Amino acid sequence: MLDKLIKCAALTVATATVAGMLATAPVPAKSADVTITYADWQLAQDIWGRSLSEAMAEFEKQNPGIKVTTDPTALSHRDVKFTTAIRGGAGPDVFALDVNPVKQYITNGWVKDLTPFIEAEGGEAFLKDFYPNTLQPVSEDGKFYGIPKNVVAMVLIYNEAMFRDAGIDKAPETWAEYREAAKKLTKATKSGGPVDQWGATLVLAKACFDLRFSVVLRGFGGDFLNSDWNESRLGEPAAKEAFDFVTDIILEDKTMPPGIAQVDCNGARRLLANGKVAMIFGTMWTLPEVNGMNPDLKAWDVLKMAHVPQKTVDDKSIRSTLYQKTLFMNPNTKNPEAAWKLIKFLSEPKQMQRWFDDNNMLSARRSVNETYDPITSSPFAATVTKEIERAAFLPLIPKWPEMLEAFRQNLQSAVAKQKSPEDALADAHKQYQAILARP
Amino acid sequence: MRDYYKGYLFILPAFLLLLIILGFPAVAAFLQSFNLMWVATPSFTLGAYKALAFDPEFLTSLMNTVIFVTVVVSSHLVIGLGVALLLNMDLRFKWLWRVVAILPWTMPDVIGGLVWRFMFDTLPGIVNSVLLRTGISVEPIDWLGNPTLAFVSVMLAESWRGYAYPMLILLAGLQAIPRQQYEAAELDGCTAIQKFIYVTLPNLKHMIIIALVLDVIWESRLFGMVYSMTGGGPGYSTQILTLLSYKQYFQFFNVSYGASMAVVLATVLFFISLPYLRMSMRQQL
Repeated sequence: MLDKLIKCAALTVATATVAGMLATAPVPAKSADVTITYADWQLAQDIWGRSLSEAMAEFEKQNPGIKVTTDPTALSHRDVKFTTAIRGGAGPDVFALDVNPVKQYITNGWVKDLTPFIEAEGGEAFLKDFYPNTLQPVSEDGKFYGIPKNVVAMVLIYNEAMFRDAGIDKAPETWAEYREAAKKLTKATKSGGPVDQWGATLVLAKACFDLRFSVVLRGFGGDFLNSDWNESRLGEPAAKEAFDFVTDIILEDKTMPPGIAQVDCNGARRLLANGKVAMIFGTMWTLPEVNGMNPDLKAWDVLKMAHVPQKTVDDKSIRSTLYQKTLFMNPNTKNPEAAWKLIKFLSEPKQMQRWFDDNNMLSARRSVNETYDPITSSPFAATVTKEIERAAFLPLIPKWPEMLEAFRQNLQSAVAKQKSPEDALADAHKQYQAILARP
Repeated sequence: MRDYYKGYLFILPAFLLLLIILGFPAVAAFLQSFNLMWVATPSFTLGAYKALAFDPEFLTSLMNTVIFVTVVVSSHLVIGLGVALLLNMDLRFKWLWRVVAILPWTMPDVIGGLVWRFMFDTLPGIVNSVLLRTGISVEPIDWLGNPTLAFVSVMLAESWRGYAYPMLILLAGLQAIPRQQYEAAELDGCTAIQKFIYVTLPNLKHMIIIALVLDVIWESRLFGMVYSMTGGGPGYSTQILTLLSYKQYFQFFNVSYGASMAVVLATVLFFISLPYLRMSMRQQL
């Protein structure tokens, strides 16, 4: 009797369990749905992140059946994460890069050849709206590996109110004027107190050093490498002049805040936002970011832009550096068609307008910059667009990140008085030659 | 006999997991250092190792690592032993002090580095703020911009963060010392210092060696604290071997060269760990 009762109870429990499982079984997803991942360091940033998320929602609405998962990879970990994942057969389907590591990604096969997709869209006709120089970093042997999204040139950004207070009536056009202005702007704001306002700051920390220091070198008529990117130009007098200029304004004039070795681009923007410095090198994105850091500054009104200073006013050579953000496809993607749709969507004129409205970023498409009213009427856009004509990319070679770091570390050694400026520059020059001589 | 094999069966999943997680990267790094893996055209070469011997940056980083590990491990042992002795005393709220003592060790090294970086920041950092307000310094000190101060700051930060690990080992050793030995020493009229020298230290010898070896290994492969605090700067002044290896591998994509540095470091650490391994083997036998 007891056995029967136990069996009966067991049967009841088993039946109830199976019934319960069936009742709560999840509805299988639609088999046609695909999910792709988009990775971008700017997803982690306040304004950019919101803007990109809104764009993704719009993309999903326009493309039912494609879901986009976003991956806000921090800039400092981006290459570690992407390259490790891609080598391992994984990684985001679509991702954004600046131009510094692009040639290494192309050389190592970490980005997919987009030429067939571009051909299917009309080839030349599809590409003709993009500025020709924006295609330079993404092409190799006639193949295209990425689609340019935004392009800007670095300019001088200064606080007009602080200039006025210091009796300076215009932006410096030469390095001599820049140095004089920096001296006038450096002072103690409280009588008898320590110096707490400085003329300017450069960026000597790793993050963003490339764009912000290169303008000094180029502004003096020098450069890191020759135009073929196969010879060091650090042995030239212009490089020495730029190097000495920087060490002098930091160590002798003391017109830059102490602790400059640790100042990165965010640090520089924060100093500008808090009225601690009056000049930094930046570009379109600087304004919304500074405004976000300190709305009381009224960055849009008080900050102005001017071209990068140069040695003499009549100098017509390259003086600024181009920044470009480009979209790439992972060669491991299982959904290349969906990934291409996303790349196309993010780089279409309508989205380019969004990047300007939300983030003050110029487009890699000529038509957008030349016809979109908010851009054509923006004085900031006018300055930066004009500077693009006098700007060039940093060397587009796989060895560039190593060369940049060698230069930065030697400059830091000079600023930290570990080496004399002459020795530091000579060491950087030697390291460049050694790196270039390597196969 | 069947139980004997059953034992191996039980440890097999953990062994396989370790083999995948630890073994694969080790083998991969070894192969990459000879240009045999994850390169467009694999071909055996000793080029990376030859280049290491003549690379001044590698030698500077190696020297920085030796100084860093020597100073930090020494400070860990001194601080760790001091705190372990205090925690071994009959204190009120002993559990609370033990929790407080291991708190720095619970902090991830990257976070620890960022916290110390903010503290040493030239303008808004708390260290300069205190020095300026108390009049000890008349102008802000560039802690992380001066090569010597930056190195000292990094070592100070890591001394704080990592002392708890040797401390726990030494505390365990202190608790295992038989009370009778102290009582006998007291009967012989030993002072506190004599008891420490003639009872505590001899009994702790093995534990000190274990703490020393493990801490040397731990600190030699430290990365996050230095990376987040100085990034190796200013210049090359705080660049230790792990940072250089990381840069070569992940930032410059010199896979073979970066891997060869990791292999050299692992080989050195293997030889350093031999006394510990011999000691553990002897205890098992």
